[in-house]
Amino acid sequence: MRFGVGLFGLQNTAMLPAHWAGAYRDMREYAALMEELGYDELWLSEHHFFYDGYCPALLPAAASVLSVTERLRVGTGMMLLPMQDPERLAAVSQDIHNRSGGRLDVGIGLGYRDIEFDGHGISRKQRLPRMLKGIEVLEAAEAAGGPPIWMGAQLIDPVKRAGQRGHPILFSAALPFERCKTLTKVWEEGWVGAGRPLASKPALGALRNIWLTEDPKEREAARDWVRASYVQYAGLGWTLPAVGEHEQADFAEETDKAIADTVETTITGSAEECIRQLREFEAIGIEHIAFRLMLDGAPRPALESQIRRLAAEVLPKLRDRVTA
Amino acid sequence: MRIGLVLAEGHEAELARLAEIHGLFGVVAGTGNPLTAINAAIYASTATEFVRVVTRVRLGLEHPVTIAEEVSILDNVNNGRTVVLADTGELNLEAGLDEIAVLREALSSRPIQHEGPVWRVPAGLPANATAPKSISVTPKPAQLEVPFWLTGAAAHEIGNLSGLPVLAREPAHLKNPKLVEPGLAAISGELKSDRELVTAWAAAGVTHLFVELPAGADLGPIMTLVSRHLAPEVLMPHFPRVMSESKVPLPWPGDGNK
Repeated sequence: MRFGVGLFGLQNTAMLPAHWAGAYRDMREYAALMEELGYDELWLSEHHFFYDGYCPALLPAAASVLSVTERLRVGTGMMLLPMQDPERLAAVSQDIHNRSGGRLDVGIGLGYRDIEFDGHGISRKQRLPRMLKGIEVLEAAEAAGGPPIWMGAQLIDPVKRAGQRGHPILFSAALPFERCKTLTKVWEEGWVGAGRPLASKPALGALRNIWLTEDPKEREAARDWVRASYVQYAGLGWTLPAVGEHEQADFAEETDKAIADTVETTITGSAEECIRQLREFEAIGIEHIAFRLMLDGAPRPALESQIRRLAAEVLPKLRDRVTA
Repeated sequence: MRIGLVLAEGHEAELARLAEIHGLFGVVAGTGNPLTAINAAIYASTATEFVRVVTRVRLGLEHPVTIAEEVSILDNVNNGRTVVLADTGELNLEAGLDEIAVLREALSSRPIQHEGPVWRVPAGLPANATAPKSISVTPKPAQLEVPFWLTGAAAHEIGNLSGLPVLAREPAHLKNPKLVEPGLAAISGELKSDRELVTAWAAAGVTHLFVELPAGADLGPIMTLVSRHLAPEVLMPHFPRVMSESKVPLPWPGDGNK
């Protein structure tokens, strides 16, 4: 398995004030620590026009990390493709990929906030055609040696389309394990349906809320930081519509329930318990795990401690399993 | 006058670090491919602590709000050391003025509501029903106000109307010099002619001159020429050359030679 940390949004929130320049410096320092501890990936996240400065331009942020590291990969999880000119984005991504020795992963998503489209002069109605055109441009770039494409999706049809096109998915941390399992099958159907052998499929990925601790008070705090980190999505107006068997999680209309459900996805407990649950993901073909540790309210000493503990007590056990 | 360095494409981190070691005030990044100029500036930024990172931003290639967002990230990565060198590219006067206005408003600490001849921000498109009448581009830059300098075909006209500094390519004497008057010139690596060159620029009223190194130059000697001879020469009137031409102080021999 491969392990990363995310989602870096580089925010200065009402609950955890920080200087933005300090947040960017801290990210470079976290990246250096992660590299030293043996992590594989760092994942960034994008939003626009929010009070907390949620990172709106992931490629410069990715370049800043890649410029001070040597081995760590950096992924955009996810970059909102319809809001950008895909040709320019492909050129910028390719340049970063080249400068970093091929360590950029370009994760792309659709976006959903009207304000973000309107601020960039784009009609929300155009987001799907722009997304499809953009994917074609990035696919051509990838075929010519550009960065690998990842996709963010959590509904049946987009996940299947990602499988058909051959792009791995990074599943949201808000999705329970059973939902990830269902969507993995859907993705595989898309992959196989496009005429590819299942054995040749790439590893998929998932963000996971996780906190390794045996201390009930720390567990309570960590789960509260997870709660706080999803309050921001309520503020952003995240709406995940009910489709098929997928239960609705509408942050705009059912905030408390949606947040409480999402907190329940958190893996907490001893190293053995964390390993047991992560092996369940490995068993269904999700072999990239991005620990979702950048939580609102979690102070830097706590995050550093957790990054170190997971590296010392969890990563070696799961890596050994792959090697064996 | 102060001297800075033009960074060669693909070597931004190395050259920016050298510029800082040699005490230069700033560097220019992104003079190669305009699409990747901000990448170049990011690499120059994370390799340094102090130098100003003048970043060429070619206008007309992307929505200005997207560019403003990228500039703001850059300015937070380098903790407020960014200077935007806005290259008007293919834009005419009207389009250039409007795009620069959007960029500067977006980078200000106020929400933006812009209606110009080219850009309307927010766009107010019918399909974006819940979008408000104004937006705040965040994060805000680390510095109070990002300096904007101009280059390109429409730069002089825009400079006259906006009052923004225009990057000079020739040391023509300035009639009403502003507090900041940037310039850019190539040096040869030959002391006498380079000294005459920078002296002419200083005499013309330029305040910040970026020097472009000859291709393939040996970086050690030429950076020493810049920092020991050219930069001091133009930092004060009547520079006493004994300061740069006397015997260089001995280096520390190191613990092993005691």
